[in-house]
Amino acid sequence: MSDTPNGGAVQAPALAATNESTNRTPQAPSRDQNVTAAIPEESSKLSPAELKKRAKAEKQARRAQAKSAGPSSNQEKAHPPKEGKQQKDQKAAKDPKQGAKDDKSKALPVRRRPSQPNPPAPKEIKKETKKEQKPATGIFFGHLYNQPRQHSVVGASKEVHPAVLALGLQYSSYIVCGSTARMVSMLLVFKAVIQSYQTPQGTSLARHLTSHHLSPQIDYLRSCRPLSISQGNAIRWLKDIIIKIDPSTPEFDAKRELLEEIDNFILHRITVADKLIADNAAEKIKPQDVILTYASSSIVEKTLLQAHEKGIPFSVIVVDSKPLFEGKRLAQTLAKHGIPVKYSLVSGIAHAVKDVSKVFLGAHAMLSNGRLYSRVGTALVSMLAFSRDIPVIVLCESVKFTERVALDSIVGNELAPAEEILSQTERAALLPLKAHIPCRPNADSKDGEEAEAGTGEVISWFKDVENLQMLQVLYDVTPAEYIKMVITEYGSLPPSSVPVVHRMSTNI
Amino acid sequence: MASTPHSDPTTPNFDIVAAYRTLLASDPEMTMPVAAIEALVEALTHSTANTTMETLELLECQTEILKASIPNPISLSAGTDLFQRYIITTLNQPSRTGVNILGPSGDFRAIRNHLLSNGRLFVERAKASREKIASFGRHFVRDGVTVLTNGGSRVVGALLHSAAESSFTRFRVIYVLPPPSSSDSKEGEKIVAGLRSRNIPVATIPDSAVGYCISKVDMVIVGAEGVVENGGIISRMGTYQLGLLAKSKGKPLYVVAESHKFVRLYPLDQFDLPIEQMVLEFKVTDDKQGSASEATEDEGVADMNGGVTSTKCSGVSAADAVDFTPPDLISGIITEAGVLTPSAVSEELIKIWF
Amino acid sequence: MPQGAVAATPGLQSFIKSLKSTPVEPSIEHLISLLKRRQIRSSRPCAIATAALLLRVVGEVRGRDAGKLLRRIREVGKRLTAAQPREVVVGNIVRRVLGLVREVTEDNADTDTNANSEMSHSFHAQHDSLHRPQLSSSISTFSPLKNAVTEPLDTNLHQSDISESAEPAKRPSLQTSHTSYAQSTPMIGSLFGLFSHPDTPSTASTPTGFQSPAGKDSSITALNLDRLADLSTSKVDLKAEVLDGIRELQDELEQSDDLIAANALDHIHSNEIILTHTASTTVQKFLLAAARKRKFTVVHAEAYPNDHTATHATVLTGKKRYDENDDAEDQWKPLTAAGITVVLIPDSHVFAIMSRVNKVILATHTVLANGGLVAAAGAHMIAKAAKVHQTPVVVVSGVYKLSPVYPFDVDELIEYGDAGNIVPYEDGDFVDKVDVDNPLYDYVPADLVDLYITNLGGHAPSYLYRIVADHYRAEDITL
Repeated sequence: MSDTPNGGAVQAPALAATNESTNRTPQAPSRDQNVTAAIPEESSKLSPAELKKRAKAEKQARRAQAKSAGPSSNQEKAHPPKEGKQQKDQKAAKDPKQGAKDDKSKALPVRRRPSQPNPPAPKEIKKETKKEQKPATGIFFGHLYNQPRQHSVVGASKEVHPAVLALGLQYSSYIVCGSTARMVSMLLVFKAVIQSYQTPQGTSLARHLTSHHLSPQIDYLRSCRPLSISQGNAIRWLKDIIIKIDPSTPEFDAKRELLEEIDNFILHRITVADKLIADNAAEKIKPQDVILTYASSSIVEKTLLQAHEKGIPFSVIVVDSKPLFEGKRLAQTLAKHGIPVKYSLVSGIAHAVKDVSKVFLGAHAMLSNGRLYSRVGTALVSMLAFSRDIPVIVLCESVKFTERVALDSIVGNELAPAEEILSQTERAALLPLKAHIPCRPNADSKDGEEAEAGTGEVISWFKDVENLQMLQVLYDVTPAEYIKMVITEYGSLPPSSVPVVHRMSTNI
Repeated sequence: MASTPHSDPTTPNFDIVAAYRTLLASDPEMTMPVAAIEALVEALTHSTANTTMETLELLECQTEILKASIPNPISLSAGTDLFQRYIITTLNQPSRTGVNILGPSGDFRAIRNHLLSNGRLFVERAKASREKIASFGRHFVRDGVTVLTNGGSRVVGALLHSAAESSFTRFRVIYVLPPPSSSDSKEGEKIVAGLRSRNIPVATIPDSAVGYCISKVDMVIVGAEGVVENGGIISRMGTYQLGLLAKSKGKPLYVVAESHKFVRLYPLDQFDLPIEQMVLEFKVTDDKQGSASEATEDEGVADMNGGVTSTKCSGVSAADAVDFTPPDLISGIITEAGVLTPSAVSEELIKIWF
Repeated sequence: MPQGAVAATPGLQSFIKSLKSTPVEPSIEHLISLLKRRQIRSSRPCAIATAALLLRVVGEVRGRDAGKLLRRIREVGKRLTAAQPREVVVGNIVRRVLGLVREVTEDNADTDTNANSEMSHSFHAQHDSLHRPQLSSSISTFSPLKNAVTEPLDTNLHQSDISESAEPAKRPSLQTSHTSYAQSTPMIGSLFGLFSHPDTPSTASTPTGFQSPAGKDSSITALNLDRLADLSTSKVDLKAEVLDGIRELQDELEQSDDLIAANALDHIHSNEIILTHTASTTVQKFLLAAARKRKFTVVHAEAYPNDHTATHATVLTGKKRYDENDDAEDQWKPLTAAGITVVLIPDSHVFAIMSRVNKVILATHTVLANGGLVAAAGAHMIAKAAKVHQTPVVVVSGVYKLSPVYPFDVDELIEYGDAGNIVPYEDGDFVDKVDVDNPLYDYVPADLVDLYITNLGGHAPSYLYRIVADHYRAEDITL
C-alpha cells in the first residue's frame, strides 16, 4: 500500500502491505489512513501536505479530461496533464510490441471505453472536484469512493518499471480489461521487471525482490485499477515461489527459474486450463442450442468457437451493457466465424432470454460461498434465466476462485468514474436541453465563454446539481442458486464446491 | 340404489338418480352439472309442487338424494347449487322490471314453465359455451407452442381441436393420459386420436413423466370438475402436482371450464374436500381382499360411467379421485365469458350468492 | 428520441392545433398517419389525440340516432387502432367513448325524464355490474352527478347500488338475466347465463360473450332499437351529453397524474430508497408529491438505449421532453430541486442496487386485463429483481391505460425499436453480420407487481380485472 506518504517509512510496511493486498478484495481496499495520497511514493522529499496537493491535482487533471474546465482554484500546482496524456499515448502504442515480444503472444482482448473514444485534450484549468462539492458521495458505495484512479504516469514512483507504467494506463483506460487478460498481462510485465532486477548487495533475491522491487509495481497497478481476484491470486503465488527460492541460488539462475515458473503458471493455470474448460463446455452445447452470454469473456468465446468448429449448429445471443459494450467485439468475432449471433442490450434481456437454451457466463471471480462475481448485469441475466429454468453455466479458471465471500454487490465492488456513464452521443443528445437546465450555481460565468464546449458541458450539468449523483460500479454478485454449473479445469462442479476446488488449487 | 326417499311428498315415483344417469348416458357430451340440472328439471316436471316453498323443498330433497348417490358430487353440485340459487333468487325477486318477460308479477308458474319448456335448451347452451370456450381459448395456443394437458377433459379437447382447425397454428401436444383404470381414459384416447388425425403431433405420457417433460412445455391447459370460490379448481388427480411443477418452472397454467362449473366450495387443502377419497390408505398387510369387500358395500358409481355399474369402492377410487389446485398456481381461467383471473371467480360466486 | 424537441416536428401539438381548423375526415387521416409514423407515440399523447379527435367526430355526426353514432365511432376507432395496434390506449379511449354513448342512450331510455343524470345512472338492465363502464367512479370526482339512487322508480336500482358502493357484494342483477335483454347479456358476470330466457334471437346457439363475432351491431338489437326510437322522440340531446362525457374523459386524462400523485404520501416514507426506471411524468409527479413532505432517495435507472435521453432530461430538469409550446413550464422542477437525492444508474446495476432499495415504482405503457403490464424495456428485469429481493413493486398508471385486451400473446404487444439506437449505423459491418434486437417494451406479468396505483386509488393486481370491467362495455371489447 502506498498510502504512507513518508518515504522513510515505506520500506517496512511495504512487504506487509503487499502481502495483505493479495488476499484482500481487489475492489475495496478500505484505506483507513491517509486517504488522499493515492500516488505511489516517489516522494520521500515531498511533505505529506505537498503530496496531498499533488494527489488532488492529479485527480483534477483527470477529471478535466472528461469535463469542460471550470474556474480554477489552485492553478499553480497543476501538473500539465497534457504531458501525462501524451506519455500515455506513447506507452499505449508501444505496448503491443512489448506484449508480443514477451510471450507466445496471447491476444489480449482489447476493450475501449466508448465514453471517451478520443479523450478531449484536457484543459489546464481545473474545477472543484465533485467530491468537494458533494461531501456525501454515494449513498450506496460511499465506502468505495476513496479509491482514486490513476490515469497518468505522472507522479508514479521512480521504481515503477516502464512496462508497468504502460500496463497501468491500459488498465485504467480499460484497454486491457477482463480478469484473465489483466492477470496474464501483469505476469508478463513482471517477467520484464524480474529480468531487469538486480539484487542489491547484502541481501538475497528471495528476501528483497518482493518487498522492494515488486511491491511498487503492484502498488502502481493497483492505483490504476483495483487488482482483480486473479491478479491477487497470481501475486500471492509469485511471492510464494520467490520466498521459496533458496537464498544461495545465484541470481541469474533464480531469475531464470522464476521466469520459467511464471511461464508455467500461465501455461497451466490459464492456457491449458482454458483448453480443458473449453473442451468440457463445448461438450455441453447441443445442436440447435441457443446460447446466451453476457458481456464478453475470453473463455466463453473460446468455447463457442470450439463448438462451432466441431460443426455443431447453434446460435448465440450476446447481451451487452453500457458503458463498456464488451459484448460487441465478441458478437463480431463470433459472427465473423459464421455463428448466427443476436445482439441485445441488457434492457432487452427479458426478450432475449425467451428462446435461450443455455447461458454461458464468464467470471471475474467465484466467491467461496458459491456466488459469482462478474460484470455488473450478470446477476440480472442469471436471474431471468433461472426463472425460466435455463441452465446457467459459469466458465471459470480456478485461478479466479477466492476464499472471499459476499452476500450482495454493495459491500465489495469496484467503482468506475461516474462520468463514464454518459457517452459522447448521450451527452450530445442532451444539448438541446440547455435552455431548461434550471439552476447552475456557477454556470453563469462560464456560460458565455464556453458555450461551444458542448458535450463537455453536459457532464458539468450533472455534476453541478447538488443532489444528483451518478453511479457506476463494475461488478455484481450473482446468487449461487442461479448457477447450475461451474466448469473449471478440474471439471464441472456445483457452485457449492467452489471452496473445495479453491483449496485444492491453492494447495498444490 | 333406488330413490331412497326420505319423505318426498311431491314426487312419488320419480328416481332422480336414474334420471341423472340416463341423461349422462344418453348424451356423451353432457357435463355433470348440466345433467344434474336437467334431472332436477325433470323432477320438477313430475312434481306437483305448487308453491315456492314446496318447490324449494323438493329441490333440496332431490339434490340430497342425487348427491348422496354419487361418489364425487362436487361437479354435480355446481349444477344443483346454481339451479337452486336461481330458483330462489328468481322467486324472491320482487319483479319490478317493467320489461320483464315474466310479466308484472313474475310469478312462480311462469318461471316453472320457462324452466320446464326449455330443459333441453340448457344442455345446448352448455354445449355452446364449450364451443365458445374452444373458439376463445384457441387464441392461447400460438404458433409453435407445446401444450401440456391432462386427461379426459372434453373442454380441453374441444379447445385443442379448435386450435387444430386453424391452419396457421402449428403446435404440439403432450397429453398426460389418465390411468387406464380411470373412467375418463377413453375420453383421453379419443381426444388424442382426434388430434392426431388433424395432423397435430401428440405425445402421450403417464402422470409420472410430467416432471421429466415440463421443461419442453410452453403452457399447461387443464380442465376442471369444479372451480371453487377462491379461484382454485377441483380436477382430476394429478392436476395439483402438474400445477406445482408448472409453477416451479414458470410455465403458465390455464384452466378451461364453463362457468356453470363454478361451485360454492372453499377447500383449504387437499383433505378439505367434501368427498371421501380412497387414496391415502395406510396398511400393514398386503390385503387385497379387504378393499374388495369394502367396495361392495356401496355401489358408488364413477359418475362419468353413467349407468354402467361400477363396483370399485366406496367413495372415490384412486383412479377417479380428484385433487384441489390452489389459485396461486393458476394463471387464468378460460370460461365462455372470457379469461378470468382466479380472483374474479370469487366475485362471480359472491354475486349470485349474496 | 428527440421527437417533439424540434418545433417543426409534427406531433401531438401540431395535431391538436390543426384539429380546430381541419375537417373531420382529413383529421382522422392525419392522426392515422401520425400514429403510423410514430410521430405521436406513448400512451398519454395517443390518448389525448384520440379523445380530441373523437370529440370532433361525435360533434360532426348528424342526427340523433345512437346506433349511427356508435357505428361511426367504432369505424373511426377501428381505423385508428389498425394504424397502430400497439398503442393500445387508442382503443381504450375509443371503447370508453363507445361506452359513454351506450350509457347515455340507456340512461335516457330508462328514465327519459331525467336526462341529466347519466353520469351516475346505472343503465340498461342487460349489463350487470361487471360490465358497467363506471365512468362515474372515475369522473365523479369532478362531477357530483349522483342522483340515481334517489330515484324511486329506477328499474335498475340494484345496479346503482353496486356502482355506488363500488363493491360487488350486492345482489346481482338477477332479473336482468331472464329479461328479454338476455340476448346480449354477456355471460360474464352472470353464472345464470345458462338459464337465460330463450325467447330471444340467438341465445340458444351462442350466448354472446365478447369474443363472439357478433358483428358490429350486436348491441343494436331490436329492443335497443326500440329504445333508440324512444330516445329520438325524447328531448334528450344525445350528442351534447356524449360530448360532455368526452370532455370529462379529457379532464380525466389531464388530471389522472395529479390524482395518482395524491396517493404518494401513503406509499413513500421518509428515508426510503425508491428505484424507478425510464422517464415518466406520472412517476415524476408522484415522487414530487412525496418530496414535498418527505426526504427520500431516488435511484433512477436510465433505460438505455431508448429512453435514456428522456431520463437524463427528467433527472436534470424534471421534464422528459420539450415541445415547442410549453406554456406551463414553470411547474416542472427536477426532484433534486426538491431536496431529493437522485442517483442515476445504468440499467445493468439494478440487481446490484436492489438489496438497498425499499420500493420500486414503475411507469407503464399499458396495463392489461390480467393485471400484467407493458412498460419500457427493462421493466421486467427490474420487477423480477425486486421480486427476488422481496422489494415491493408499485405501478402507477392512469385508468386510461387499462386495457380490456387479454394478452393472449404478449409478444404481439411488444414493439421493436430502431437497432441504430444500440449499434450506430456507422458500424455497418456489425449490423450486417449481427442481428441486433431492440425491444422497446417489456411485458411484466401480474405476479411481479404488488400494487397498482391509478387515479382511482390503489389496487391489488388481482383486482384489476374489476377496474377494467368497470370501464369498458363487453360489446365494445372487440372493436
